[in-house]
Amino acid sequence: MLKIRNLHVSIGDSPILAGIDLDVKAGEVHAIMGPNGSGKSTLAQVLAGREGYTVTAGSVRYLEQDLLALEPEQRARAGVFLAFQYPLEIPGVANVQLLRTALNSVRRQRGESELDAMDFLDVVKGKLALLGMDESFLYRAVNEGFSGGEKKRNEILQMAVLEPHLAILDETDSGLDIDALKTVANGVNALKSPERAIILVTHYQRLLNYIVPDQVHVLAGGRIVRSGDASLALELEDKGYAWLLPEAGTLEAQEERRP
Amino acid sequence: MNTQTASRYRQALDTISASVDQVGVRHQALERFLANGLPSPREEDWKYTALDALERAEWHVPEHAPEAMATEAYPGAVMTFGNGRLTQGSPQAAHAHSLAAHADDARVRQTLGTLASNAALVQVNSALWQDGLLLHVPSGQHASPLFVVHHASEANAMLHVRNLIVLEAGAEALLVEHYHSMPGLPYWHNFVTEIVLGEGARLTHLRLTEESAAATHTGLAVVQQARDSHYHALSVTVGGRLVRHDTWVNLNESGAECQLDGLFIADAQRHIDQHLHVEHAAPHTTSRQTWRGIVAGRGRGIFDARVVVQPGAQKADAQQSSRNLLLSPHAEIDVKPQLEIYADDVKCGHGATVGQLDEAQVFYLRSRGIDADAARALLLRGFAEEALGMLKDTGLAGWLEPHLAAALPVLNREPTA
Repeated sequence: MLKIRNLHVSIGDSPILAGIDLDVKAGEVHAIMGPNGSGKSTLAQVLAGREGYTVTAGSVRYLEQDLLALEPEQRARAGVFLAFQYPLEIPGVANVQLLRTALNSVRRQRGESELDAMDFLDVVKGKLALLGMDESFLYRAVNEGFSGGEKKRNEILQMAVLEPHLAILDETDSGLDIDALKTVANGVNALKSPERAIILVTHYQRLLNYIVPDQVHVLAGGRIVRSGDASLALELEDKGYAWLLPEAGTLEAQEERRP
Repeated sequence: MNTQTASRYRQALDTISASVDQVGVRHQALERFLANGLPSPREEDWKYTALDALERAEWHVPEHAPEAMATEAYPGAVMTFGNGRLTQGSPQAAHAHSLAAHADDARVRQTLGTLASNAALVQVNSALWQDGLLLHVPSGQHASPLFVVHHASEANAMLHVRNLIVLEAGAEALLVEHYHSMPGLPYWHNFVTEIVLGEGARLTHLRLTEESAAATHTGLAVVQQARDSHYHALSVTVGGRLVRHDTWVNLNESGAECQLDGLFIADAQRHIDQHLHVEHAAPHTTSRQTWRGIVAGRGRGIFDARVVVQPGAQKADAQQSSRNLLLSPHAEIDVKPQLEIYADDVKCGHGATVGQLDEAQVFYLRSRGIDADAARALLLRGFAEEALGMLKDTGLAGWLEPHLAAALPVLNREPTA
C-alpha cells in the first residue's frame, strides 16, 4: 500500500528526514517510535501533504500513485488520513458541517452519491456510539473549547466517518488518560481490516498495549535505526532510546522543528 | 455645490412635486442641502469616505414606473419597491403601508423628520423621497415577519427611500430589508429610516445590502428607545461600489437595550463604511455590538463605532467587538471603536482585531478532503458566525445563507505584504 524509499526532507536548510525506507502493506499496523525531534511528526505531516517541507530526495508510492505529487485534499480523497497531534480549532464551523463536507468530498471522488443531512446523521450516529461520544459533539464548533482528550477523540471520529485506507495517527495517545486511551484504541481497532493499514506515531509504548502493531520502527536522527515486532516496543519501554542512538550528542541538539 | 448640479437637484424636486405632499418642507430641506453640500473628507466622520463620485454623477429622479421584477421566495409577507416606489399590486402585510400614501396623516407628520439629523444626506432625502415603508404596530401587537425589497432597475437614478417605523408599547416586529438591483447598474440608493420603540417594544431588524457593483448606497437609521425596549439589528453588506451606513441609537430610558451586529464583505473594488453611534442617556441601559469584516481584493472597510455614556447613565453596560480579516495586500481596513464615558459606575469594554486566514486551519480542512477554495469559504463563513446570532433566533438562516455563500470571496492565495 505504502512504499517509502530513501525519503529526505528539509525545513528550510535544515535536514529533518535523512533517508527513510518503509513498506506498509494492507492489513498491517506499524508503530513509529522515537525520541523527541527524531522526525516522527515530520514524516506524518509530509505524508499528509503539509506545506513548508521540502522533499530533497526519495519517493513515496501509495496505491501505485506518486503520493508526493498529490495535493493534501487529493490524498485525503484517495484514502490517506492524518490524525493531528494538535488538532486545530475552527471557530464558527460546526463539527457536523466539517464532517459532512469532508465525507461528501471523499464520496464524490469515489464516485458515490453525496449524503443528505438525514442520511449523513444516520452514518455519523453509529460512529459516535463507537467512540462513546455524545451527539452534542456534532453541533459544537470544531475542537473549540474541547479538552485535549475530546480533541483526540474528535480526530478518531473524523477518521471513522471518512473510513480511510491508510490512517496515520500522530501522537494520538499523548495527553490521554487511560479511559480516553482505551476509547481511542477501540475506535482504531474497529477500523482495522485486511484492506486498511495504520501507522501509529508515538513516543510511548502504552498505546501499543491496546493496538498491537505488526511492526515497530525506531526513528532517530531522521532515519529508521531499528525495526522489529511488538516486542521491540516493550524493550524500548524498558531501556529507553539511548542504546539505539549512535550519535546522541547531535540528536540532543536537534529540536523538533515545524515550519 | 456648483450651479449646474444645484439646478439639477431643483429640477428633480420640480419633477416630483406634483405627486408629493409637504412641498414647502421639501424646498427648505433642498436649499439647506444645496447650501452646505455633501460632506467632505475634512470632516472627521467622513475621513475615509470621499463622495466626489456622488457629487460628479448626473443623477435624476426615476422616470420609469416601478416594474415587475424577478423575485425570490421570501419566508414572510413581502412589500416591494421598484426604483423607490411601491410596486403595483405588492401585497401588504398587516401594519405595513406605503409612507407616501400616509404622509399627511397626523401621526406621521408628528414624527417624520423629528429623529433624523440635519446631515446633508438626510436633507436631500427629506427633499426628494418618493416612498418607503410605514410600519406602525399598535400597542401589544406582534407583526408577522415582513420583507421589504428595494429593487433598482434604472441607470443613474437617485432613489431616496424614507422609512418610518413606530412600535407602540409592548409591540413586536421582525423586519427584513433587502436592497438589490440588476447587476452592474449604476444608481444611488439613499435611505433614511426613523424608528421609534415604545416601552417594552421589540424590533428585530435585518438589512441585506446587495446592491450592484456600480451602485452607491448611503443610509441612516435613527432609533429612539423607551424604557425596556429592545432593538436588535443585523446589517449584512455584500454589495455596492460605495456603501456608507450610519446607525444612531438613543437609549433614552432605563432598561433599554440594543444589539447592533454586522457583517461586511468588501472585495473587488468595494468600499464599505459603517458608522455606529449609541447614546446611553439613562441608567441601566445596555448596548452590544458584534461586527465582522472581511476585506479582499482592492476592497476597503471602515468600522467606526462610538458609544457615549452620558453623565448619570450609571450601570450602563456596553460591549463592542470588531474582528476583521484582511485577505489581500491591496485591501485596507480601518477600525475605530470608541467609548466615551461620563459616568463612574459602568461596565464597558471593547475589542478590535485585524488578522488573516490561518493557513494551518486551511491545511487541516484540506487534509479532510475539502479543496482549498471550499476550505477557505468554510473558514470565512465560520469567522462570520459570531455576528450572525440573529439568524438562529429568527429562523432567517435558510433565507440568508445562499446570499452569504454567493458573497464569500473566492480567494486565490493572495500573498499578504
